[in-house]
Amino acid sequence: MSASKTPPAANGVNRRSFLRTSAVLTTGLAALAASLKPLMEMQDFPTAEQFMQKYYKEMTPDDMAKVLKRIENEVEQQYGLRPHVRDYKPMDGVEFVYCLNLTRCIGCRKCVHACAAENNLSRNPEIQYIRVLKMPHGSLDMEKAEHHYDPPQVPEKDFFYMPVQCQQCKNPPCVKVCPVHATWQETDGITVIDYDWCIGCRYCEAACPYFARRFNWAKPQIPKERLNPEMSYLGNRPRRQGVMEKCHFCIQRTRQGKYPACLEVCPAGARKFGNILDPESEVSCILRTKRVFIQLKEEVGTSPRFFYYFDV
Amino acid sequence: MIQATKNYGTFLKRCGRIAFVGDWRYYTWMGLLTVICLLGLNAYCKQFAHGLITTGMSDEVSWGVYIANFTFLVGVAAAAVMMVIPVYIYNNEELHDLVIFGELLAVAAIIMCLLFVTVDLGRPDRFWHLIPGIGEFNFPASMLSWDVIVLNGYLVLNVHICGYLLYCRYQKKMPAKWFYVPFVFVAIVWAISIHTVTAFLYVGLGGRPFWNSAIVGPRFLASAFTAGPALIILAIQVVRRVTALAPHSNPAQPSGRTTLKAVLQRPAADSDLDLLARYLPELQFVPADVRRNLLPGLKVLDVTTGGVLLRQGETEKHSFFVLKGRVVVEREESGRHRITRSAGPGEQFGEVSALAGTPRMATAIAEEATQVLRVPADALRKLMKTPAMNKIIHARMTERLMITDRALMTLRGIVQVSMLINVFLLVNEVFKEFYSGNLHVASAKYLFVGLHGHHALVPWIWTAIALNLIAMVLLVLPVSRTLKWLNLTCVLCIVGIWIEKGMGLVIPGFIPTPLGEIIEYTPSVNETLICFGIWAFGLLCYTVFLRMAVPILQGRLSQSNEGQSDEQVAATFAVAPAKS
Repeated sequence: MSASKTPPAANGVNRRSFLRTSAVLTTGLAALAASLKPLMEMQDFPTAEQFMQKYYKEMTPDDMAKVLKRIENEVEQQYGLRPHVRDYKPMDGVEFVYCLNLTRCIGCRKCVHACAAENNLSRNPEIQYIRVLKMPHGSLDMEKAEHHYDPPQVPEKDFFYMPVQCQQCKNPPCVKVCPVHATWQETDGITVIDYDWCIGCRYCEAACPYFARRFNWAKPQIPKERLNPEMSYLGNRPRRQGVMEKCHFCIQRTRQGKYPACLEVCPAGARKFGNILDPESEVSCILRTKRVFIQLKEEVGTSPRFFYYFDV
Repeated sequence: MIQATKNYGTFLKRCGRIAFVGDWRYYTWMGLLTVICLLGLNAYCKQFAHGLITTGMSDEVSWGVYIANFTFLVGVAAAAVMMVIPVYIYNNEELHDLVIFGELLAVAAIIMCLLFVTVDLGRPDRFWHLIPGIGEFNFPASMLSWDVIVLNGYLVLNVHICGYLLYCRYQKKMPAKWFYVPFVFVAIVWAISIHTVTAFLYVGLGGRPFWNSAIVGPRFLASAFTAGPALIILAIQVVRRVTALAPHSNPAQPSGRTTLKAVLQRPAADSDLDLLARYLPELQFVPADVRRNLLPGLKVLDVTTGGVLLRQGETEKHSFFVLKGRVVVEREESGRHRITRSAGPGEQFGEVSALAGTPRMATAIAEEATQVLRVPADALRKLMKTPAMNKIIHARMTERLMITDRALMTLRGIVQVSMLINVFLLVNEVFKEFYSGNLHVASAKYLFVGLHGHHALVPWIWTAIALNLIAMVLLVLPVSRTLKWLNLTCVLCIVGIWIEKGMGLVIPGFIPTPLGEIIEYTPSVNETLICFGIWAFGLLCYTVFLRMAVPILQGRLSQSNEGQSDEQVAATFAVAPAKS
């Protein structure tokens, strides 16, 4: 039926249905726009450069230099402070091991705070890599542990203290489960995370038997004056919202021959760190001479590089 | 080739258009779902902008309702295809018509699964890191990468199978077996694999003793085969309801007068057979002498709109071929009428009961002025001696949309057995956890009786267990043979299993933490809205799929009626039969 032959009544119906359709469409689009509105509150929408960034292991030195420059710019823009961001590589013939003397630890949590300062951990929401457990004498049952103890003075009678952080497993379940290879074990034994590759599925967090991994539930916040400008790509550079992070044995320090921040600050000398491949190192000596040392949850088969021991 | 592409384009276009046509119930339902979807989208935009801090999750309980729903829905998707087993392996005819509904449900469930995983990601903008070849894919080490493969593969398989079957039905063509049957068998194995892989996602974590148990996989399958078919029982009853007329407006009730009053009858001529052969080319293969011998027994009937050609329950042994016009075949069951097929020129109806000598299963009404060829059963048998005719007539026998009560009862059987196994496995798990009583019982204790004064999940799990047990008893009792009780039972199964498997499995795995701390989890409002949004989107998809599939299965949306308006095709009921 051609348009000219359309009776007026049918024409009216057409106009009505056209009006109805456009009303429905307009309402629909308005509703859609309204529901998308919160996207406007987004603070750091990924730039094209960030979006397209290559995987760490596929970057050429040139690529990496560009990325490091970009990160420096980003940090400067956000914190008003020019950082030094480097990509420290593992040293040959080095495998790091941590030993912690449970007889000496007094539970002061200085390590927790030194770690936060060194590694640019988010202060809000608060992220900490080290959790110090207050345990009653005589038991290693973690269900009896107190996590948020706050006495006027430490140590308390009849308790011992057990700081737990990433155990840098030889057989890390977190690495195995990551669907995108965003976390891996380096030759010096440190399990690292490429913060720019992690998709934030938190499977590693579920897999970790030590509660060592932390997720950035919101955009991390660090006061400008607290920012540590000596940064590394796989270490303490500021993270972004929605990615995992964890203790990396202060990669930006230890790969330059320094001690981790938690060790340096420990007032009791409970923490020992070094190269297990060097038979003369302190950690080699400890593991050779101490009669009892503990790898947490040995039965899980993770084979930690973190050893707890006692002065017997 | 160009024509084929064009035809397929028309098919898609018509399917797309029909999704927007319906009665007020349809518009209300779709409008409601759209509103919930948009609320969910809004909540997700908030989460996208501010991070997952908008959820109730924490480093201690790092997966919540998103992953719980994901787990449940993978089960639904897997189980939907399990209905295919009785059809293809045991040749159960009753379930044959339901296969498409099951597969479409699987497609909708997988879409929901993928959405639930996506909203759980901290960096959804980096999804491309997961694409094999482009990103970095940790296969086969990570069970999550397995899940990416099996879920997407399953989606493709099911879209192919139902898309192909529906398109063939649309073209009124017989599906080529080699093009879908192998995929059906792959899909059956694949269905088991998607749920097993999802179970392994948990089972593989040695640091979480609550999940690190071999029974999780079998439990997943048992609960999936309970909840999935239960969902299908409910869904196809909704389909039955909306494609049916309520008893009071019963149009095909015999008016007491003879039904053939509006029918003109005359002996068939050779020209009538020629006309039929135009629409049914297979008729040309019938030898001329057979045709000649048959001719005296054939009659041509002319009916006006609403004329009743045969009536459910009657016993007379004629089959019919449509020469002109269109006939709808509708069946009465449980006091409701629904269209089981629609026949256009060249197509047959009434052949099943004619050949079997059984009472008519349905009533055939002319939808417009229609001319049909009446063929006695003996003549039809002779026609079917020609292989081509035999093949086409047999193929079209199954072209109908018949959801019988017996099919529902078969599904009930599946739900029944699965629920028994599910409860049995649960008992096994509970025994192992509590009898040995070692340190690893902490999560189970938290779940079932509470731990150190924390018992957020205790009321939930006992509700789930109560629902499951009541459902199990109902399923075993004959009372669930009545549809009302069966529906109630299905709802109990679905809710019970959703709690048991979603919240009851995912959350306690995190409590206490590996360091013995107890941090409880409650989903936030925003998180809950996102879940509702995804469920609404899934239901929206399933409704649209059904909206397209039902008229195709009924034969009302087909290539032969391209000229018909969408409203005509979409009408759940076409015409009222003539009263006089």
